[in-house]
Amino acid sequence: MLISLLVLSGAFQNANTQSLTGKEIIDKTYNRPTGEDQESDLKMTLINSAGDTRIREIKQFTKDMGEVEKSIMFFISPADVRNTSFMNWSYDDDRADDQWIYLPALNKVKRISSDSKSDYFMGSDFTYDDLGDRKLEEDTHELLREENINGKACYVVQSIPVDKDYMYAKTITWLEKETFIGVKKEFYDEDGDLLKILSIKEYNNIDGFDIITFSEMKNIQKDHRTEMKLSKIKINTGVSDLKFSERMMTRGL
Amino acid sequence: MIMEKLFQKIIKAHWPLLIGTLILSAVFFWFMLQNSEMETDLDEYMPQDHPAFIYSDEAEEWFGIKDGIIVAIENPDGIYNAETLDTLKQLTRTLQKMDEIRKADVTSLYTADNITGTELGLDVKEFYKQVPSSPEALNRLKQHVETNEMAHGRLVSTDGRVAIIIAEIEDDVFTQEFYERILSTTAQYETDKINIHVAGRPIVEGTMALLGPKDMKKMVPIVLLVIVIVLYFMLRSIKSTLLTMSVVFFSVLWAFGLMAVLNIPIYAVTTMMPVMLIAIGVADGIHLYSHLQLFLRKNLMASKKEATLEMLRKMWKPVAMTSVTTSVGFISLLTSEVLPIKYFGVFTAFGVMAAMFFSLVIIPAGIMIFGLPKIKKQKTYKKDTTHKLADVFAMKVIRNKSWSMIITAIIIVLSVTGMQKIWINSSFLEKFEKDSDIVRTDKFINEHFGGTTTLNLVLDAGSENADVFKEPGVLRLVEKMQKHVEDSLQIVGNSFSLVDYVNRMNKVMNADKEEFNRVPGSKDMVAQYLLLYEMSGDPENLNRVVDYNYSKMNVTYQLKSDNSKAINATLGIIDDYANDFKKKGIEINYAGSGYKGLVFTDLILEGQIKSLILSLLIVVILLSIMFKKIKIGLIGAVPITITALISFGVMGFLNIPLNTTTALLSSIAIGIGIDYAVHFIEQYRVNARITGDKLLTAQKTMNHSGRAITYNAIVVIAGFMVLLFSVFPPNRELGALVSLNMFTSFAGTLTIMLVLLNKSNAYIKNIKEKIK
Repeated sequence: MLISLLVLSGAFQNANTQSLTGKEIIDKTYNRPTGEDQESDLKMTLINSAGDTRIREIKQFTKDMGEVEKSIMFFISPADVRNTSFMNWSYDDDRADDQWIYLPALNKVKRISSDSKSDYFMGSDFTYDDLGDRKLEEDTHELLREENINGKACYVVQSIPVDKDYMYAKTITWLEKETFIGVKKEFYDEDGDLLKILSIKEYNNIDGFDIITFSEMKNIQKDHRTEMKLSKIKINTGVSDLKFSERMMTRGL
Repeated sequence: MIMEKLFQKIIKAHWPLLIGTLILSAVFFWFMLQNSEMETDLDEYMPQDHPAFIYSDEAEEWFGIKDGIIVAIENPDGIYNAETLDTLKQLTRTLQKMDEIRKADVTSLYTADNITGTELGLDVKEFYKQVPSSPEALNRLKQHVETNEMAHGRLVSTDGRVAIIIAEIEDDVFTQEFYERILSTTAQYETDKINIHVAGRPIVEGTMALLGPKDMKKMVPIVLLVIVIVLYFMLRSIKSTLLTMSVVFFSVLWAFGLMAVLNIPIYAVTTMMPVMLIAIGVADGIHLYSHLQLFLRKNLMASKKEATLEMLRKMWKPVAMTSVTTSVGFISLLTSEVLPIKYFGVFTAFGVMAAMFFSLVIIPAGIMIFGLPKIKKQKTYKKDTTHKLADVFAMKVIRNKSWSMIITAIIIVLSVTGMQKIWINSSFLEKFEKDSDIVRTDKFINEHFGGTTTLNLVLDAGSENADVFKEPGVLRLVEKMQKHVEDSLQIVGNSFSLVDYVNRMNKVMNADKEEFNRVPGSKDMVAQYLLLYEMSGDPENLNRVVDYNYSKMNVTYQLKSDNSKAINATLGIIDDYANDFKKKGIEINYAGSGYKGLVFTDLILEGQIKSLILSLLIVVILLSIMFKKIKIGLIGAVPITITALISFGVMGFLNIPLNTTTALLSSIAIGIGIDYAVHFIEQYRVNARITGDKLLTAQKTMNHSGRAITYNAIVVIAGFMVLLFSVFPPNRELGALVSLNMFTSFAGTLTIMLVLLNKSNAYIKNIKEKIK
C-alpha cells in the first residue's frame, strides 16, 4: 500500500526528459524503483469543516513481490481500535485487490470484497486509487503545459479515465521535472467539478529513495481534509513474505 | 386656542397640504419600488439569540442537519425495471448538478452503499451504478434492497413501488424560481408508468411564505373594492368615500414606504399590516363624516368652511385619542422576541398615526377643495328610520340592563371554556387546503415512507467526554428510546441514529444473521465496527449521526405530520428518558426546523399574550387619563376584553389552532375595540353634559357614535368577508376572525359598555332617573 502511495512521486532518474509525452511522464512516475519493502509509522489526521480532528496512528509494512504488491497495517491508536489490522494485495494485472480486515474484539479475520476503487482509505479523503492503486492504461494522459510550482519546474499532465463511469472525470497532476514527484494533483468529479486537491508538503530522500513524508488531501466539496505523515521509515530491511498472512493479522503489534 | 389656530391653518393651506402629502407619498412609493423585498427564509424570523435556536443552529452545523426536498418516483408495477431505475439515476444526477444543491447532499438508491456480510467476509457494493436490465440482475437488486434495512423502507418503499431521492438544501436557497425549476425538471421524467411527486419541508415552507402574501396581494384590492362600495352606501357620497379611502391608502403607503426607506424587508406578518390599517383607517373617516352629516342636517345653510371647522373642533379629540391608544397597543408588540413582529407593531403604529394625520388634514383639505358631500333631501325619511331605530335600541339597552349583563356573563363563561380547548399549531402543512397538491404529495410520501417531517434529537455528553457514544450501555438506551417512540406513536414512521449503523455492522460481520442486528457487547467492538464502516462505507454518513469525538449524537425521527401535537407527543416520550440519560451524563436537546418552528410559535404566542396584557393595561391607563376617570378607563376596556375573549373562545370551539397569523388578531381586537369605545365614550360625555339625562344621552350618543360605529363595523365586516373566498386557508381564517372581532367590538360597545356607562353614573348622577 505504501509503496503505492509513493508511486505518485518519481524516482531520481537520469532519463532524457526532452519532449516526453504525457503518458511517458506518468509512466516514469508509476514505474520507478521504490525499494523492495518498506516499514513505517503513519499518522493520519482527519480534519472536518469545524476544525475537529481525528488522529489515527498506524504501523504498516509493504512489500513488492513482482506481480503482486502486499501491504499490512495495524492500528496503534486510538486505543479502542488498537491491533485492528488490514491487509491488501494489489495485483499488476486486471484482478481486483484482495482485502482482509481483522477486528480484535470480534477475533475474526474477514475478507472484504469491494467492487469499487472509490472506497475511502481508513475513512480519510484518500481513496485507494488516490494512493496509487492506478494503472497506466486506465487513463489517457496528456501533457497540458509546463509551469513552476514552489519555484520548481513541473509538467502539468491531465489524465482522463478510459472507463467513463469512473468516479473522476479527470485528474490534473503537477509533476516535478527533476524528481518526477507529483507535488500537486487536482481531482474532478464525474460532473467535471473540482472535488479534491492533493498537496505534497514534504518529501525526503531516505536510503536513496525519494519518499513523500507529509501530504494533504483536501475535499473541496465536503470541506474536509486529511493529513498523512510518515515517520520511522525503513526501506529494504527484508520484510518476510510471511508477514502478509491472515495469521499475522491476528497477532497484533 | 392652539388647536383652533391649527384648524384655521389646515383649512387655509388645503392645497399645499394635499400636494405635500402627494409628493411625500410619491417619495415613499419610489423607495418601495427600489427597496421593498420579500423575506421568505423563515430562519430570518427567528430570534437568533434564543438558547434553543443557538443550540439548534450549532447542532445543524455539527451534523449537517438540513431540510430535504423529497422527490418520489412511483411506478405501480414496481421500481425494479430498467426504465424506473434509469429515471432514478438520471434524476439523482440532475439534482446533484443543480447549483442550489451540494452534490453530497443528494441521497437515493443510486448513491447509497450496500454493505452485506457472508460467512467469510464483508461485501461493500453500490446498489447499482449502471442500470441493470437482465431479469436476474434486477431480481438481485431487489433482494439486496429488501434485506438492507438502511434502504428498505427508507429509500425504497416496503411495497417496492416507490423510490425516493432526498436533496438537502440550505435554508436560504429556496425561491419560487428554484421550486418551479425542480417541478419542471422532474415533470420531464414522467411517463405513462412513472409518476413523480415532490415534497418536503423546504417546499412547504417556501410555498407558504410565497403563497400567503401572493394571495393577499390578490385579495386586498377586492377587499378594498367591497369596502369602497359599502362605504358609499353608508356615506351616500362619492367624495366622502374616496377621501376616506385615500386616508387608508396613504397610511398603508406611508407605513410600507417608511419600511422601504429604512431597508426593512417585507415579512409574511407584514402582510397583515394593510389588513390592520384598512380596518382601523376607515373608522376615522366614518366618524368625521358622520359628524359632518349630522351637523349639516341641523345647519343646512352652513358653509363648507364652517362645517369643516366644526367637524375638526368636535372630532379631533376622539380621532386623536383613538389613534394614540391604538398605536400604543401596537407598540406593545415590541415586547415580542420575534423581530418581524416588532417591526409589524412599530410600523402599524406609524400607519395608524399617519391615518390620524390624514383624517385630520386630507379630509378637511379635500372638503375645502371638492366641496361638502351633498345631503339628499329624499333620504330624510330614511334618516328618520335609522334615527328612530337608534333611539329605540338605546332605550331597550338601558331598560334591559340585566339582559346585557347576563348575556355578557354567559358569553364570558363560554369563551373561557372555549379557550381551554385552544391549542397551538406550528404546522405549515395544515395551512394548506386538504386537497392541494402539496398536502396530497405529502400524504403520499407519508404512506410509503417514514415521514416528511424530521425531528432531530441531539444527545450531548459535553465535548470533554469523548467516546461516550461508543459505550454499549448508552447505545442500548438510545435504541430502547428509538423503539419506544416508534412503537408508541403511529405518527412516527421511523428513526435513525448511530445505533442503526452499529447494529448493521454487527449483523454484517456475523454473516448477516438477524440475531446479531443489535448493539454488540463491548466498547472496543463498537469502535472497531465504526472504523470498519468508515473504511468501507461513505464516512460522511457517520458524520451525520455522531460528532468527531463521539461526545454528541444525532437521532433523527421521521414524523408523518408537522402538527405541533405530533411533535409534542414525540418530545413527551423522549423526555421520559431524560433522567436515564442524565445519569449517564448526557443531556437531551433538539434541533432542526420542525423543532425550531415549534419553539418559534410558542415564542410568538408568549409575546402576543404578554403584549395583549400590556396593551390592555396601557389602554386602561390612557383612557383613564384622557377621560380623567379610572372608572371610564376600566369601562372602556370592556369591549376589547370581550372581543379578545370571544375571539379565543371561538377559536377553541371551532378547533382553529393558534398560529402566527391567528395570534396576531388579538392586536386587531385592541386596535378596533378601543376606537369604538373612545368615540362612544367621548360622545356620551359631550351629550351627558348637554342633556344631563341618562336616556337622552344614550339615545343621542347612539344616534351619533352608535351610527358611525355601526357603519364602520358593516363596512369592515363586508370587506373582510371577501377573504372567506381566499384560496389560502390562513387568509380565510383571518377574514372570518377579523369580521368576528369587528362584530363583537361593535356589539360590546353599543350594549354592555353603554350599560356600564349608565350604571356607573359616569358623567351623570342618578338624580334625573330617580325623578322619572
